[in-house]
Amino acid sequence: MKPDRGPCRPSGMTRRDFLAASGGVIGTSLMAAHAPALLAAAGAAAKAHEAGAAFLHLDAAEAAALAAVAARVVPSDDTPGAHEAGVIHFIDQAVGSFMSDSAGLLTEGRAGLDARAVEAHGQPFAALDAERQDALLRQIEETPFFGLVHYLTVAGMFALPIYGGNRGYAGWKLIGFDHRHGWAPPFGHYDAAVGASTLGHQAMTGGGHDHD
Amino acid sequence: MIEQPRFPQREAVDFVIIGSGSAGGILARELSVQGFKVVVLEQGRYRRTHEFTHDELSVMFNHEYVGGPLGGDPQTFRHDASEKAEVPDFPPAYYARMVGGSSVHFSANFWRLRPVDFKERSLLGAIDNADLADWPLDYDELEPYYTRVDWEIGVSGAPGPFDPPRSRPYPLPPMSVKSSGVLLEKGARELGLHPQVAPVAILSQPFNGRAPCIHCGFCMGFGCETGAKSSTLVTMIPQAEATGRCEIRSQCTVHRIETDARGRASEVLYYDAAGQEQGQRARVVIVAANGAETPRLLLMSASERFPDGLANGSGLVGRNLMFNAHSATYAWFDQPLHDYKSVQCSRIVHDFYDSDPKRGFYGGGAIDARPFLSASPMLYALTGMPPDTPRWGAGFKRDLAYGFTRSMMLAASTTSLAMDRNNITLDPELKDRFGRPAMRVTYNDHPHDLAMATFLQDWAERILDAAGAEKTWRKPVEPETVGAHLLGTCRMGDDPQRAVVDRYHRSHDVPNLFICDGSSMVTSGRGQPTMTIMALAFRAAHHIGEFARRGEI
Repeated sequence: MKPDRGPCRPSGMTRRDFLAASGGVIGTSLMAAHAPALLAAAGAAAKAHEAGAAFLHLDAAEAAALAAVAARVVPSDDTPGAHEAGVIHFIDQAVGSFMSDSAGLLTEGRAGLDARAVEAHGQPFAALDAERQDALLRQIEETPFFGLVHYLTVAGMFALPIYGGNRGYAGWKLIGFDHRHGWAPPFGHYDAAVGASTLGHQAMTGGGHDHD
Repeated sequence: MIEQPRFPQREAVDFVIIGSGSAGGILARELSVQGFKVVVLEQGRYRRTHEFTHDELSVMFNHEYVGGPLGGDPQTFRHDASEKAEVPDFPPAYYARMVGGSSVHFSANFWRLRPVDFKERSLLGAIDNADLADWPLDYDELEPYYTRVDWEIGVSGAPGPFDPPRSRPYPLPPMSVKSSGVLLEKGARELGLHPQVAPVAILSQPFNGRAPCIHCGFCMGFGCETGAKSSTLVTMIPQAEATGRCEIRSQCTVHRIETDARGRASEVLYYDAAGQEQGQRARVVIVAANGAETPRLLLMSASERFPDGLANGSGLVGRNLMFNAHSATYAWFDQPLHDYKSVQCSRIVHDFYDSDPKRGFYGGGAIDARPFLSASPMLYALTGMPPDTPRWGAGFKRDLAYGFTRSMMLAASTTSLAMDRNNITLDPELKDRFGRPAMRVTYNDHPHDLAMATFLQDWAERILDAAGAEKTWRKPVEPETVGAHLLGTCRMGDDPQRAVVDRYHRSHDVPNLFICDGSSMVTSGRGQPTMTIMALAFRAAHHIGEFARRGEI
């Protein structure tokens, strides 16, 4: 797509990945039509979760497994990961609203993943150690299910906290995105340098004719 | 505050304008200021400045503004006529559905065409498998209207070494330089190129009662929360409404232009917000629905008298679609750029504007510096990281943390050649939520377009290396599947056999039907067509008003 508009289909992603990533054809019509109402609902739900309420759309087994997958996509180490960002609460909200069309894929995929875990190790995915979890995820990383959870994890890390994730701005802090409504120059290291640019200070003449 | 008029539908108003974007907003303002009664039919919502958010999930990923399948209006895409067209991930004709149209969500890069753009067929000769043609007007004729755009809506910039002549200076000084701009400037200079300030339709200082940019960084794809981006929503539309003679009817989706027994446009049929069919009679109809929806509407308006679609005696309605080819080259630097702040582009290289036979292919373009895929967090995490970065796990997290603030890209915006095989047609099977035939987009770049994009990508990589990039990577140049620049599909020209509208945007076939938007453009320029679309609209409004006053419509 053009450089001067929205997101382009990323190079290096398969079409299937991108379907999951874009949200384009996997059920976001409600969001398109009712964004403000959904925002309000998501905000209320996020508050409910903070107060310790149960998941609204995921059952306990789904929540445990999906939270565990998200925690391997963006693991917690010396900085917060998907777990601390509350990604699973974002996923819970998403499948109940703008990602509702993907609920079936999540349910089936989760069941399949836990079945693999039980077959290999006698325990569901969430109960395994990180090494075994990663080995199982490597087996499914090209599947639509993994693509979807990957997308939801990233969205849950970086979307506005009103959707239930990005708690304490964990995602934004991780990457250094400081969300303010206004900035003043200099913006970064290179434009802060003395004499960074020699352009743009010339007199505002009607020119453009001189060729240097 | 003047209350909006409610014009009766059964009585003909002077003008119905279909579309309220870059062209429609200007036509509405100009014609209502001239004293005419105007109804604007806009399919999208009337969003106000305070409604625009930084909600990346909704705006960029859930397509809040751009419709497509989610809005019940799917489009199909194929590369050529031998393929079956499918509904792709993104709407292939990518534009904003709202009052103000895509001027609300665009990045506001704002270039004029140059004298060479209007005469390339004469200068360069024919090109195989392309319909390169001269425009029926030249730069000098359009220049006063470019200047009007500058001063009516507010443009920030400074002259550059290769700029075409301008009759007045920029009304506003340049936006502050960004780190990406500094790095482009440095790399380009080392290679002997001539970087210059990138002009943008965003206010660097207060202008006409509007506040200046606060550098929030949410330009690309977003509506501006402060109204500093010079969309028609915040410039032309309020002035049109202030005349008391312009009614903006939002959420009204046109499906047909009716003609009377004399073959003149008589009424515009549309579905209102409740889905009810309505009609508005008019003395004159202007279609300004963008280069994809305009031909779709004309094709949908076929009748016994006009079996191939309205205004389509030439057979060129929907043909010669041009997107502007492009290429993208990315880099990480070792220090933070924080390029997510402020406008997209602050510096640009225009050394490669003219086509040069020595290259062995037609084409020209520019290289600008911008964050693009590191403009916002989700975009970066999903699409903006190097291809060799791990996709999940500790390595993914490490690169997420490292690269967002250190990223930039060089965007090359280039020519597209007009070709019959690239077009907008009606999908023979798929319908939208109103039962209208879905738009079918067929597009495959000319080999010269891809060669030019690659040529500039080679230069972009050299520039980034010269600027000291720590790491660079390219998005492979491939045939386009999505276009945000929708150009050429009702081209202007003097010969009714070879053009849809004349030099004043009047349909060659229907005397009271005018068409003015990106579809009028004969060639693609080098990207960033919005300023030209706006200049054409000011010029069209001037002539159309004259015709109306003289009884020549």
